[in-house]
Amino acid sequence: MTNIAVGVFHGPESALVAAGTLKGAGFATLELMSPIPIEGVEEVLGERKSVIKHFTFFGGLIGGISGFLLAAGTAVLWAHPTGGRPIITIPPFLIITYELTILFGILFTVLGFFISARLPAIRERVYVPESAVDKFVVTVACDNDEDFKRAEAILRDAGVEQVRELAEEG
Amino acid sequence: MAETNDLKYADVHRDVVRSIVETGPRYYVALAIAFGITLLCFFFPWFYQLYYGIGAAGMNHPGVWGTYLASFIFWIGLSHSGTLLSCVLHLTNSTWRKAMYRSAEAMTLFSLMVAATMVMVHLGRPWFIHWALPYPNQMEMWPNFRSPLLFDVMAITTYLTGSSIFIYMGSIPDFAAVRDRTSGWRNHMYSLLSLGWRGTDKEWHRLHWAYTFLAVLIIPLAVSVHSIVSWDFAMSIVPALHQTIFAPYFVVGAIYSGTAGIVTVMFVLRKYMNFEQYITEVHFNNLGKLLLLLSLIWTYINVVELFTGWYSGTSTEHEALKYKLFGYYALLYWEMIAFCAVAPLLCIFKRFRTSLVPMLILSIMINIGMYTERFLIVGTSLSRQYLPDAWGLYVPSLVEISILLGSLALFVTLFLLFVKIFPSVSMYEVKETMDTPKTEPVAPSEGSPA
Repeated sequence: MTNIAVGVFHGPESALVAAGTLKGAGFATLELMSPIPIEGVEEVLGERKSVIKHFTFFGGLIGGISGFLLAAGTAVLWAHPTGGRPIITIPPFLIITYELTILFGILFTVLGFFISARLPAIRERVYVPESAVDKFVVTVACDNDEDFKRAEAILRDAGVEQVRELAEEG
Repeated sequence: MAETNDLKYADVHRDVVRSIVETGPRYYVALAIAFGITLLCFFFPWFYQLYYGIGAAGMNHPGVWGTYLASFIFWIGLSHSGTLLSCVLHLTNSTWRKAMYRSAEAMTLFSLMVAATMVMVHLGRPWFIHWALPYPNQMEMWPNFRSPLLFDVMAITTYLTGSSIFIYMGSIPDFAAVRDRTSGWRNHMYSLLSLGWRGTDKEWHRLHWAYTFLAVLIIPLAVSVHSIVSWDFAMSIVPALHQTIFAPYFVVGAIYSGTAGIVTVMFVLRKYMNFEQYITEVHFNNLGKLLLLLSLIWTYINVVELFTGWYSGTSTEHEALKYKLFGYYALLYWEMIAFCAVAPLLCIFKRFRTSLVPMLILSIMINIGMYTERFLIVGTSLSRQYLPDAWGLYVPSLVEISILLGSLALFVTLFLLFVKIFPSVSMYEVKETMDTPKTEPVAPSEGSPA
């Protein structure tokens, strides 16, 4: 069993202080839940890197190539000669390429978001509904009761409003 | 922002959730009227036209483009400010965007839907619409990708997909917030829509980047969509249409009418959804400045269009110009100039920009003017081409006028449904503009680590 200490804070600054102290005290599995994105999280919990940009780039690339191949392939397979002009006409096909670059870029960005943010959630996870309204919540996984007490003390020092204990299979 | 300083996070939450779950009789009456008009003025005449044939519309040789296509451009244009403006303001970190962008984006989405429906109405045989899509079929028929009409299909499909995704992604945290305060079918619906969002630092980080990338992709997309719509006309060799300035002209016109549309929607939301504390004079002031700038650019392009037509020295262009300024439809032209070029000059005065009712009237006048512009481009050009013996007049039939009014009601119906499903003011972004709650200091606990 892993216990999860949940600290409910009134403001973001104290939640950040608590998260930073907990991290410094060796607690590795930490999460901050908040009604708004908190500024300065990365300074406390370390820089976060996202893979979304790679999804966007490769999505756009795949879209661009497919767009051009779709238009050019159609023109070659169902040739429609017009006044001796080329069958693969670059200017109009670039427009199709452009549109599909953006379409696939958008779709892959969404895919990248879902994968990297682990959404949709398949199994139930720790959640504190007040964090969607006006509370700032720090959750920390504790291996044993001693760890829990240590975490609780850190949370209280930072000015927590309420500490809760949740049990999670682990 | 100063105007939300006296509000707390919980107040925002309460007000927005209330706007979704508490529904008064006025709402049902409005929905019933809008839906009734949609059925009566949109679907009934459309079925009449399908039954009796496209002849029920006033289109005939040489005027084979009528109000359906004018409405199509109008609705596409109206769609332009929502998502586009929201993306630009998001990337430039404009805080005043936050209270109004959700509704503006919804306007984009529903305008696009109505625009797509107008194409169906214009088609005559809408059950063959899938012929415009590239998919393997037994007829071995594939679309011609050199045609601006196909550019249109690709651009609008992409824009509709992009706009839907953009509004949905921005709403996920709010769906989660509403999920926790609802029960029954609403709770199930918001649980599904919020995808299990918890508001963790990681989720916010990912959402920020995904949302920013989407904004970066959608801005050039929106510009391309109306450029492509303009090429439906500019790529033809019809006098007064075959002009290089058409793409920027359409893009500016679209953003212009879309911004005016936002003013109208903001006024209605503020008044009837009780959002006075969120949608304030600041928004109207800023939108007024934007309208003034857009009206000046739009006027400039109109003058340039007249000048280049005149300077070309060709008899067909001169004839088209003369017809536009003094011909059968001249009254409409001058109405457009009065509504879209002259009246918006009032926005020079701050007092006007912050007066809500005059701004509402102006926004409606601009959109009437912009509809007229589209009608003049589409409805009158084909009827007056090179050969005088092939000239004609286009006057919309009762079916067409009714469908135009019905399309407005369709838009209103969709919007009314939206305000009861989506949080129409973005809760988390309004909260971001407010002062964050401060923690009161507490005494250190006993036995705390040093």
